[in-house]
Amino acid sequence: MNTAPVNNRSKWLHWIAGLVLLVSYFLPWVKWQSIRVSGYDLPAGNFFRISESNFKLGNPFPQLAFSFYTFWLIPVLIVLTIAMVWQNKKASLFAFIAGAMALSQVTVYYLFSNTLVDLGVGSSAFAMLQPASFATVAAAILFISTALKEHNWLKKFAWLIIGPVLAFAAYKMGEKYVMAETFTNTNDIKADYTVNATDLIREFMANDTAANNKYREKILVVNGRATQAEQKVDSTAIIQFADSTGSYIAFSFEKDQYEQVKQIKTGDEVSLKGSCSGSIYSEILGTTAITFKRATLNKK
Amino acid sequence: MKKTTLVLALVFAAGAVFAQKKTTSSATVSFDAATPKDALPKAENKTVIGSLDTQTGAVAFEAAVANFSFSNPKMQEHFNGANWMNSAQFPKFTYTGTIAKVNKVKFTKNGTYNVKVDGTMTVKGVSKPAKVEGTITVADGKIKVAANFTIKLKDFGITGQPIEAGKVKEEPSISVSAEF
Repeated sequence: MNTAPVNNRSKWLHWIAGLVLLVSYFLPWVKWQSIRVSGYDLPAGNFFRISESNFKLGNPFPQLAFSFYTFWLIPVLIVLTIAMVWQNKKASLFAFIAGAMALSQVTVYYLFSNTLVDLGVGSSAFAMLQPASFATVAAAILFISTALKEHNWLKKFAWLIIGPVLAFAAYKMGEKYVMAETFTNTNDIKADYTVNATDLIREFMANDTAANNKYREKILVVNGRATQAEQKVDSTAIIQFADSTGSYIAFSFEKDQYEQVKQIKTGDEVSLKGSCSGSIYSEILGTTAITFKRATLNKK
Repeated sequence: MKKTTLVLALVFAAGAVFAQKKTTSSATVSFDAATPKDALPKAENKTVIGSLDTQTGAVAFEAAVANFSFSNPKMQEHFNGANWMNSAQFPKFTYTGTIAKVNKVKFTKNGTYNVKVDGTMTVKGVSKPAKVEGTITVADGKIKVAANFTIKLKDFGITGQPIEAGKVKEEPSISVSAEF
């Protein structure tokens, strides 16, 4: 039978654990470079906003972002548990859920920090953990352990490990999915801009910083007359548009596009689509070179 | 007047045919930093600019960092990010060098020649001496250049936990091929 911890020592321990868990939730759990991220930042929507704006690592599953609101249950359930235990009411399930969720959230923070380390942010995920995250782990363990008066250690142990195990499994599955992803065929992506080749070259030459900021990693449709069409021996192809200054745009086609573009010859009017890599100024050629990857022949 | 124009045109035409500095804007550079723990860190760029001076032996290459194409979107994003290649700030890799004993390469006669190039490689704003061995193949007026070598990432200040953890090779292999 689930009952509230009735003896005074257990009740006070449960209370203290709940209070520490509650306060810790609003203190920094991790520090990414100089940025501190608290427990409540996940349900508040700040967690991925911070990582994306500072480290270009956003939520890989934005469609599931709503699920993070459920982590507000942690402080809510703690407050409910404390209030109910004070009145000697049964609240062990609330305590178990709050503790397990807190442990799962710490696990996610640690694993995500480890991913940031892979990106070169800091040297160790462990070193990024702040005192409040350790306090959260200790308090969550105590909160779960003192939720029942009887010594049902198997049940307590199950609640202690279920959060971290599920969080670890979900995170690793998500990570595996992200790393197994490949680029969508460019033809299936809606173009961000449609431009004329000479206008695009002119825009880059007028202000390359602004043009790079505007177009880099964007999908563009570029229309113009091919000034160079090269089919390589490995069944890939390069098609270029150049202007009178010698500055040019080069589209790089992968093997799967070869059949589509092998007929294109110098002088043909073509419409190409690709992911813009921006421009460089070539010291060798003395011209601006704008390059595109994953190019396709645009299907109008 | 007509004679002068004709002579000038011939001079320019001859200059173009026998130009010693040859260039390309479609050379290929690929690198492979994959390890048994991670097969993803490898990419290729087919729009590399190159030049070869058949008289002095001077060679040069410029590769737009952002145009290295990966199979995985996240890996490509990480590669270009501020903590790795920072392609927004350092938009190109460069190599400049000189072919040793270039006079032994007959650029007008079909054949394959093993060459050594003494040069400087610049990655992420850091320049280091780099000696590269490669081959030059002359076939029907076309000159093909190929080289395979490795670089040490830490020489260019590129370090990090993924390298220490064995997810990225400490010394990726680089392949270069160009046709002039």
